[in-house]
Amino acid sequence: MTMLQGMHLTPIGDGIILLEPTDGLDPGEPDAYLVPLAGTLQQMRARRLIYDLKNVPVIDTLYYAWLTNLASICRISGIDMVLVNMRPATAYALALTMEDNPPFACALDVNRARNLP
Amino acid sequence: MVRNAKSKKSTNQLLIEQMMTKVATISQDIEKRGQSIFGQGNLLTLDEINDYSLEFLELFVLLLQAGEKVDRRSSEHKALRQFFSNFSQQIQIRGGNLEEFVRFIHFMQDVFLNNLETDSTLDFQQTREILLLLASVFNDIILDVFHVYLAEKERTIQAQQEELKHTSTPITEIWDGVLTLPIIGTLDSSRTMSVMENMLARIEKDRAKVVVIDVTGVQAIDSQVSHHLIQMIRAVGLMGAKAILTGIRPEIARAITSLNIDLSMVSTRATLSEGLKEAFALLSITVLAADVQHH
Repeated sequence: MTMLQGMHLTPIGDGIILLEPTDGLDPGEPDAYLVPLAGTLQQMRARRLIYDLKNVPVIDTLYYAWLTNLASICRISGIDMVLVNMRPATAYALALTMEDNPPFACALDVNRARNLP
Repeated sequence: MVRNAKSKKSTNQLLIEQMMTKVATISQDIEKRGQSIFGQGNLLTLDEINDYSLEFLELFVLLLQAGEKVDRRSSEHKALRQFFSNFSQQIQIRGGNLEEFVRFIHFMQDVFLNNLETDSTLDFQQTREILLLLASVFNDIILDVFHVYLAEKERTIQAQQEELKHTSTPITEIWDGVLTLPIIGTLDSSRTMSVMENMLARIEKDRAKVVVIDVTGVQAIDSQVSHHLIQMIRAVGLMGAKAILTGIRPEIARAITSLNIDLSMVSTRATLSEGLKEAFALLSITVLAADVQHH
């Protein structure tokens, strides 16, 4: 497992990296995380980043902007980004505020995210 | 002399006196009528009818004794109205008829009016004041009974609407990982909320991979309805499932194109069965007829 500021990164095989955000993550400061994270993912030869939302009860506009920024960095780096373990209430609230389709894929859990084509 | 003494008394006192002299007859008449209305339909037992009649007379006397004039804000007036509210609620709960109940209240009023007719000592003015007093008190009571009746009806309608909301959008797991959601009627904001909540919870519970949303039963679509549909489809996607929209009738399709609604990101199929085929294809499931399997 690799520790970066505000997150844990765990390689789970086949170039798939599991990202678990910690309480220290400040989505209002994306610049503090994006460059080190992109560098680490390249070093790990990542082809898919699985972002675990298990401990994220609310996705507000700030958090959504952070996820969008992260998805853009991943796309430029040739990495798929998949969100997993979104809670029904979070999905519900987010769907009501979204104006476009999200720039990332979603899966019910880590296993399904691993098996996405 | 008697006439002069009576003229000094307030209307309330006159009515109390009248009631006291004939309380047994009044009580008997009310009970008899109550039995014929509520006893036959087993709405109230004999004891209950007697208790209600006595309680009514007691409360009515208390109201008349409270002052020279009936005060609508007095606790006695509130107690009498509360008594009738509770009485009517009980009759309603037991399946009673509002019309009959109102007739019963009118009958109670009539009992007092009949007493007035037989009392030759009252002059015109006194009779008029008693009539006005009775009309005012009994009108308030009837209005309260109507309020209780309407509130009860409102509660029943709301409960039925809630039930209808759930039964009109049954979410069924038609195959492992495949949910179907037929939408019938209109899709307003409140219904969208309830459907979305149920659907997202089911995706998580059943670990669904595909949700087929069938709108064959949707009569009309406007920009708001289509917006709600898109929100539902996005929410399904955020839970990691795939949404397929089926049953878009030609008129609905025409409405969607006229409204410039972009459904290009939504997977659509003409019928529910086509949607199910698509769902099976997504899950790499092939359904074959039994004879084909044998060959």
